[in-house]
Amino acid sequence: MPDPSFVFAQSISGLTAAMFLFLIASGLSLIFGVLRVLNFAHGTFYMLGAYAAYQLVQWLGVGPGRFWLAALGAAAAVAALGGLIERVLFRHLYGKEELYQLLFTYALVLVLSDSAKMVWGTQQKSVSRPPELTGSFSVFGATIPSYNLLILLLGPAIALAFWFVLQRTRVGRFIRAAALDRETLGALGVNVSALYTWVFVLASFLGGLGGALISPMRATTPGMDTEVIVEAFVVVVIGGLGSFWGTFLGALIYGQVLSFGILLFPRFSIFAVFALMAAVLIVRPWGLLGRPLR
Amino acid sequence: MYRRTLLVLVIALAVVVPLAADAQKPIKVGMPIPLSGPPALFGDPASKGAMMFVEETNAKGGVLGRKLELLVRDSKADANEAVRQARELILKDNVDFLVGTLTSAEGPAVSVVAKESKIVFIAPIPKTDQLTAPDKLHPYIFRTAANTTIEGRSAAEIVAKWPVTRVATMSFDYAYGQDVTRAFVEHLKKIKPSVQIVDQQWPKLGEQDYNPFINAQMAKKPEAIFSSIWGGFFVTYSKQAKALGVFDTVKYNFIGVGEAATPETTKSMGADYPVGIWGNSYDAFYWGETAAHRDYTARLSKYLKDEYPSSWAIQGYTGMQFLVEAIKKANSTDSDKVAKALLGLTIETPIGPQTIREKDHQANRGQLYGKTAMDPKYPFPIMKPVTYVDPTKFMD
Repeated sequence: MPDPSFVFAQSISGLTAAMFLFLIASGLSLIFGVLRVLNFAHGTFYMLGAYAAYQLVQWLGVGPGRFWLAALGAAAAVAALGGLIERVLFRHLYGKEELYQLLFTYALVLVLSDSAKMVWGTQQKSVSRPPELTGSFSVFGATIPSYNLLILLLGPAIALAFWFVLQRTRVGRFIRAAALDRETLGALGVNVSALYTWVFVLASFLGGLGGALISPMRATTPGMDTEVIVEAFVVVVIGGLGSFWGTFLGALIYGQVLSFGILLFPRFSIFAVFALMAAVLIVRPWGLLGRPLR
Repeated sequence: MYRRTLLVLVIALAVVVPLAADAQKPIKVGMPIPLSGPPALFGDPASKGAMMFVEETNAKGGVLGRKLELLVRDSKADANEAVRQARELILKDNVDFLVGTLTSAEGPAVSVVAKESKIVFIAPIPKTDQLTAPDKLHPYIFRTAANTTIEGRSAAEIVAKWPVTRVATMSFDYAYGQDVTRAFVEHLKKIKPSVQIVDQQWPKLGEQDYNPFINAQMAKKPEAIFSSIWGGFFVTYSKQAKALGVFDTVKYNFIGVGEAATPETTKSMGADYPVGIWGNSYDAFYWGETAAHRDYTARLSKYLKDEYPSSWAIQGYTGMQFLVEAIKKANSTDSDKVAKALLGLTIETPIGPQTIREKDHQANRGQLYGKTAMDPKYPFPIMKPVTYVDPTKFMD
């Protein structure tokens, strides 16, 4: 029997990983749910968020609160870029075959990541943890970095805010309606085109925020976009594409399976995650909380 | 009559001119190396180091009266792509030699192409022992990088001097990580039998979240940790390990091979670097042990327009240097003759004399090791003191 403090530490690290994945996967899921496009470039928004945070930290310098300003600024910049891309390029994809969508979004990955390389080069970049959160707590004998604790709180907070907007506001009702029947919503006098842009902006914001918030814990390098998009895909496939709580659940499962998987299969914990995804695909192809596609 | 003379002259010229031009044809060297993705961090400066050597050689009149021409191609750190590029360089661009590749997957794959095409191939970066293992060795493959035996054993020599017995390892689960860790563990147990390996973690190559691995490792209460998490991945690993208090817990009895202490890495992390750990590097601009090294660093600094030039350029530079010295010694660009000339060849490199051993085509390339510390002269930590660990004694 493993030491309880270790089990606790392991579950916390799984939870932290889950909250990050949720931030990123929720945007991916939202775009699919409403726009019906599988956005392969979502991971690239995450990478750009990390680079933008690095750049803003360079400009703003280190100081209390500066990091948060940089993270919000980075997310906003990525959101603006997302809006532009939706307006100019993405809208030609709606209703097209999946193959075209995949090819297009993949092309976007290549173009954006090469552009990032031209701006920031191939050298890894590193962002420091914000000075107010460099310490750590000891809970039940497990060390938990303060920064991770904040992420643990931020994840559910964003999820709740998200849920509130979708379920309790007028815009949220429109978004849900657009996911069900775009044409009827348009016929009722709602500007669906603008609504789609805003959904894309919101999803890009979440992706950019995920990248910015992860930058103090990871190196910012070219290639981090394609790594994360695979994980995000696994999460949304397990949880159910387009399902909000499904994404949350998928992220939680992913984090815990990875954390505890290394105890059972030290060298194959990533295999455990993919095995789980395969099992879900066989039993419930639409994911745990998703709805079957019509 | 006049016309006929002119015709003969033209024909003669048409035959002679290309022949004369042929003697002036450049010696072509193909370099498949990662220029995109995370490994570009090393591939890019290594290719620039090779390019600097080529430009310097050409400025001095070239080799055997011929200019050198370096053709660099992006291998994307992918074995299949590296093989494709190598084949294309040989068939389409007619390169005379290959110098390049970076990962331990690319090196052995391109070595097979070199064997088929009977073209000398110098690998300046891949470390896996399998590249020059007896069953894989052939007359055309040479390595000027350190190998996993050298690197693992160098680290073991250092760790053996620490007052610790409970040792853990953290490495990626693929050729390089496994080989260097095995070499470390075996050598350490041999020179210090009291050592106990209490834990070994094997995250997948390129892992982004080390927290579960770190928790599992620290639960076994190691007194020292050996890591071969390399390059930019070390930045991610050490940030997460530092947040979890790993370095304080093992009292900085931590050694990071895979170039964890290169100026590139310490520079990108600045004060976030776990200052006090041990690490290694192929080169360090602040080493300056010999006049040759100081001169090389000054030239490189100018060439790269970087005050603190890359520690990876040296690998491209010495790889090319070995090739050129062998061409001179063979007095030929014939691969068979150059391959023979490389056996047992000793050259003076910026980091000192280097020899390619006859028995396994492996250079006695050691690395710089040291305990990291802040230095008022630089805004980032350096290895202080930094020493070159000569592997000649423990290569077999």
